[in-house]
Amino acid sequence: MSMASNADQFKQSFREEAREILVDLEAALLELNENAGDRELVGRVFRGLHTIKGSGAMFGFEDLATFTHNLETAFDDVRNGRLEINSELIDLTLAALDQIKAMLEEGGGGAALADPAACAEILTKVRRLTGVTASEPAGEKASPKTAAATAGPVREWSIHFAPGPDLMLNGTNPLLLLRELRQLGGLSVKASMAAVPPLAELDPERCYVAWEMVLATAASRDAIRDVFIFVEDHCELSIELAAGSEVDPAANAAAADATARALDEQRAQGGGRRTYDKPDNATSLRVPAAKLDQFVDLVGELVTVQARLSELAARRDDPEIAEVSEEIERLTSSLRENSMNIRMLPIRATFEKFRRLVHDLARDLGKDVELTIEGADTELDKTVIDQLSDPLMHLIRNSMDHGIEPRDRRAARGKRPTATIHLSARHSGASVLIGVSDDGAGIDAEAVRSRAVEKGLVAGDAQLTESETFALLFEPGFSTAKQVTDVSGRGVGMDVVRQRVDSLRGTIDVASVPGTGTSVTLRLPLTLAIIDGLLVSVGDACFVLPLANTLECIELTRADVERANGKHVANVRGVIVPYIRLREHFNIRTPRPEIEQIMLVETEGGRYGFVVDRVLGDCQTVIKNLGRFYRHVQVVSGATILGNGTVALILDPERLAADAVRLGRQGFHGHTAGHPVVGGASRMGHGGKRESSQTNAA
Amino acid sequence: MAITLAESEALSAIGLEETVDISSAAELKALLVKALGAGQEVRVSLEGAAYLDVTAIQLLWAAEREARSAGVGFALEGPIPERVSAALLDAGFDRFPVPECAR
Repeated sequence: MSMASNADQFKQSFREEAREILVDLEAALLELNENAGDRELVGRVFRGLHTIKGSGAMFGFEDLATFTHNLETAFDDVRNGRLEINSELIDLTLAALDQIKAMLEEGGGGAALADPAACAEILTKVRRLTGVTASEPAGEKASPKTAAATAGPVREWSIHFAPGPDLMLNGTNPLLLLRELRQLGGLSVKASMAAVPPLAELDPERCYVAWEMVLATAASRDAIRDVFIFVEDHCELSIELAAGSEVDPAANAAAADATARALDEQRAQGGGRRTYDKPDNATSLRVPAAKLDQFVDLVGELVTVQARLSELAARRDDPEIAEVSEEIERLTSSLRENSMNIRMLPIRATFEKFRRLVHDLARDLGKDVELTIEGADTELDKTVIDQLSDPLMHLIRNSMDHGIEPRDRRAARGKRPTATIHLSARHSGASVLIGVSDDGAGIDAEAVRSRAVEKGLVAGDAQLTESETFALLFEPGFSTAKQVTDVSGRGVGMDVVRQRVDSLRGTIDVASVPGTGTSVTLRLPLTLAIIDGLLVSVGDACFVLPLANTLECIELTRADVERANGKHVANVRGVIVPYIRLREHFNIRTPRPEIEQIMLVETEGGRYGFVVDRVLGDCQTVIKNLGRFYRHVQVVSGATILGNGTVALILDPERLAADAVRLGRQGFHGHTAGHPVVGGASRMGHGGKRESSQTNAA
Repeated sequence: MAITLAESEALSAIGLEETVDISSAAELKALLVKALGAGQEVRVSLEGAAYLDVTAIQLLWAAEREARSAGVGFALEGPIPERVSAALLDAGFDRFPVPECAR
């Protein structure tokens, strides 16, 4: 790789790291807003800003570094008790983070996307707070380093700095470190060329020069060490008090105080002195998401080819080919599992970023709202997470604007003055449930209905269940808001939520109690790439059921059907389970076999059976999108290519059950489990192996 | 960045322009090796240089040491821009680590 592309790579790495730091900074600032006296949070913000500034300058983001420097100065003042935390500083810093974020993004022509006027306004206000005038150049008089260096007695430090072999390759310029060190005080530098090898042996991209320095400064050893914070693991570094360095006892006590404070700060962080250390190279690695997507795509192709091989091996009836095929199947399965695990991410970062939205909206709407989070460690596929932000944002905005009452109305209702928005996540089978709930006014179902009638969405005499009524909220352009605000009310957001959730093959469930609050639950698939499935057939058609939902398989004979008087219910060890005939549901016109199979699946609405002709066994299922033409076919979550080249539809058990209930097509209404019925049958495990049991279909 | 090598019968002239840093270090090394391999005096001009990083400095220093031990002339030609010499002083090189040729 050329050095030019290396430089681009370093810049890209910096951007990615800086974005992560910005997320953490935002969270820390919002926490600080609640706990202004928390020194650990102040330190966390300071170090975040310091890291962005330092790395920014190192990787050529000079404007960003200069801008950030002013904020760093402010938080250094806070650290040192010269400035108090207040909501103005928090809001200014949050606004500044938005500009830093924009500076990290390059426009089409390489131009930065930050707003210069907004940046200038922020800086003016920050400088007013810190008492620094605009004429004082950033990085000199206003430097936190200079500030650190002016407190306490001046001492001389002997510093030995020898860059390691890879220091320059990770984008560090040692001369810039010397420049930074010079900000702490008087520096005399001597470069040593002793380690420079003969020209022929010299690696041109490695630094062989070492430096011996004497620094006269009031700064502490830690402050000096901070200059080398990013390279400490890639160099030889020693910082020692120079022999005979004068120390004033009184000043020494002050320095000891400062040291104690710094140690307290470190202890408060759990002993780690650097919050933003790069992860240990030996245990983690940063990989571009696009490469990972490509990797998973290739694994998907491999799974498809492996299925063909298995099919071929089964037809050839050759033990040697069968052995190789089975081995490849095992390896492919492990590879698939591993590759999918790599893409699984906790939803924490997505949730946490809404703290800022809630903070800003609460301020703008004049409401007191706290955001609580549950299940932040729940993992789901990165591609699903990427598409979750927009729907969640619209749901939160809607809750904040329409759900949560103004302070006086909450008080009149005897509610806590501070309202709560609660974000939650948890796994449920092959799905993840994402919840957005509030303790606001709830939804007026009658108002929703009236509005829908007014807009011609439903007939005036339509009989709607509560669930069907709330589903109207997600119709395009639907809004019950009496006025459009900056936040919501145009009826666009909820439509976006539905579109996005539909595109993810998810479902939305709304529950609301007037006066108490509203809860919206998004059910989303854990992954959009490859799943473990159970292959079943009906006539000539094959279907895949997600293995995570399936429980067991039981036989259904004609006699069983007759005993149930035509009702679509089966008795499973004394428990009645309603079933759905896929043959009827998909209008498959082939004759029914004498003995059918009922695949029992677990859904949110209870246990259901799907009647099929045969259970062919489990299979790794690469999910292929059906495209726009089939986007309204809700009961199918995609398609997959089988080993023999034919296509099987992947069924969505949740939607299929809900659909069947809704249509009343199968002659049952809702979950009726729990009634004992007498009889006997046999069941089948996931792999298609028959097991004996006393189960009956009634 | 631009690095040039002009060879005549008695002299190899290397010109460094703009920023000479790690991104051009491999190229500079190759030119220095080639110039020294020719066995004739080497002159390096920094007149157009705006910035030299430590990789460029150590390459020039190593080349000068090699030339000296081989009895080949190696020197800087023309003035060193103020920015370059100031940065070098800040970096602890008391003087440019390669002698200037007599004017």
